[in-house]
Amino acid sequence: MPIYLYIERIGVLHRLHPTVKVFALFVMFWSVYWVDHPLALLPLGLLLLAAAKNAGAWPNFYRLRWLFVMVILFTTLAWMIFYRRGPVLIDLKFIHLSRASLLFGFGRGLKLAELLATSVVFLSTTKIEEFTVGLSSLRVPYRAGFAITLAFRLAPLFMDSAITVYQAQSLRGYDFNRGGPLERIRRYVPVIIPVFMGALRKANAMAMALEARGFGRISRPTSFIEYPVAPRDVAASIGLLAIGAVYFMIYYTGYGAIPLK
Amino acid sequence: MADLSLMWRNTRMVVLCAISAALYAAVLVPFKALPIIPGITELRPANAIPVVCSFLFGPAAGWGSAIGNMIGDFFGGVGPGDVFGFFGNLFYGYVPYKIWRIIADGESPVSRSPATIAKYAITCLLASILCADFVGWGDNMLALRPFSVLGNLIVINNATAAFVLAPFILYEVYPRVRKGRMLYTDVMSEVTPPSRAASALGLAMLAVGTLGAWAVGNLVSTGYWIPSLIPPGMAQPPYDRAIAIAVTPFMMLAVAGVGLM
Repeated sequence: MPIYLYIERIGVLHRLHPTVKVFALFVMFWSVYWVDHPLALLPLGLLLLAAAKNAGAWPNFYRLRWLFVMVILFTTLAWMIFYRRGPVLIDLKFIHLSRASLLFGFGRGLKLAELLATSVVFLSTTKIEEFTVGLSSLRVPYRAGFAITLAFRLAPLFMDSAITVYQAQSLRGYDFNRGGPLERIRRYVPVIIPVFMGALRKANAMAMALEARGFGRISRPTSFIEYPVAPRDVAASIGLLAIGAVYFMIYYTGYGAIPLK
Repeated sequence: MADLSLMWRNTRMVVLCAISAALYAAVLVPFKALPIIPGITELRPANAIPVVCSFLFGPAAGWGSAIGNMIGDFFGGVGPGDVFGFFGNLFYGYVPYKIWRIIADGESPVSRSPATIAKYAITCLLASILCADFVGWGDNMLALRPFSVLGNLIVINNATAAFVLAPFILYEVYPRVRKGRMLYTDVMSEVTPPSRAASALGLAMLAVGTLGAWAVGNLVSTGYWIPSLIPPGMAQPPYDRAIAIAVTPFMMLAVAGVGLM
């Protein structure tokens, strides 16, 4: 699985201000949270599909298609076991198959799938440096934002070195597939240790390089990249506020709830 | 918990935090493709990394674990529940070194004596259950996933990685890191631990809070036992409010305990 989902494209969503993108993420969480009924969640799903089309994020959605299907399926099943409410349609021992449990479970599955879709659209349209700007505008301390950005940057490097070590060990005849599940997990130790030690060797040099460049001398350092606020950002923010308000009203008026009869 | 904020002043700790996060994410993301129950959790051998890093880097591992999990969440779908995942993983990476300092008092975690193994098992089990409590409690309060499913899967997942994989990595890495003077005690020597009495009280509070939250969360989310103080209207699936009322005091006790340690 690739660590970067970003898709290079000049679309409306790509050009939005990073703060607006982070705000959009929050509004989607907010809106999805308030409603339970699958029909109430459907417009958000359609909106996300439109956003995915605009962002050219289909390759990422296609790559994760089975995850979407499984998320909906297994969440529906899990809640049919635990959400034992409403008149039973078919009496099974563990699964409480009622109209209410079916709607509630499917609604939860749809919710989780929409949250996954939100993160895929976000990652397809947002670079790491934009994410950092978004975090800093939310008053996340600079050093914490820096650690997050550095971790995002280092993770693919560590994955690459793990693959190199894996291939080197395989060439020497080391069998990673021998034994039961626990033994197989344990056989990855000779891969993890060189990656770990390689990472630690970098740590000292990295800390010295950072301090030599004056890291942490000022709490809000300036940046080469500037993100001016454009009219489209204002329009998008108003639209997002409206979506959040509409979904809260759907909850408040009771239209987003699951009927128990 | 002053060390959690003090570490951000130390550039080397910031880098170690980013490295812990990147290592965690680098092992976590490839396994996103191998879910145990899709939408709920996946196979997570990566959960050995926060435990190993905790013994090595102390508070940096706590933040590293939280950030690494956040990076991983972006590839399995982010959502409101991930806030609890962030804090659950923060404590999963932070608590082991705190508990070890109290029960092992400077002893090396790589010693193979039965007493050391028992102390290591207690340390990892408490950290695993606390992380599971946070995520299960949060997700059930948001009515996204039941505590009894998510909470127990996380305990099994965390404890398996901590018992099967982490000791082997620690055995190889710990002596080298100690020799290179990269342990948290070398990098952040200015932090003074609290008194033994306060630490012991904190550990007792952590143990009672963690185990209490886990037991009550399981009983309430399955509907086997609902405390009598909970109004009948709230004692209905998905038990979101019942979980909030019954489990929150235990969670507060556990966090207060960590604060004293």
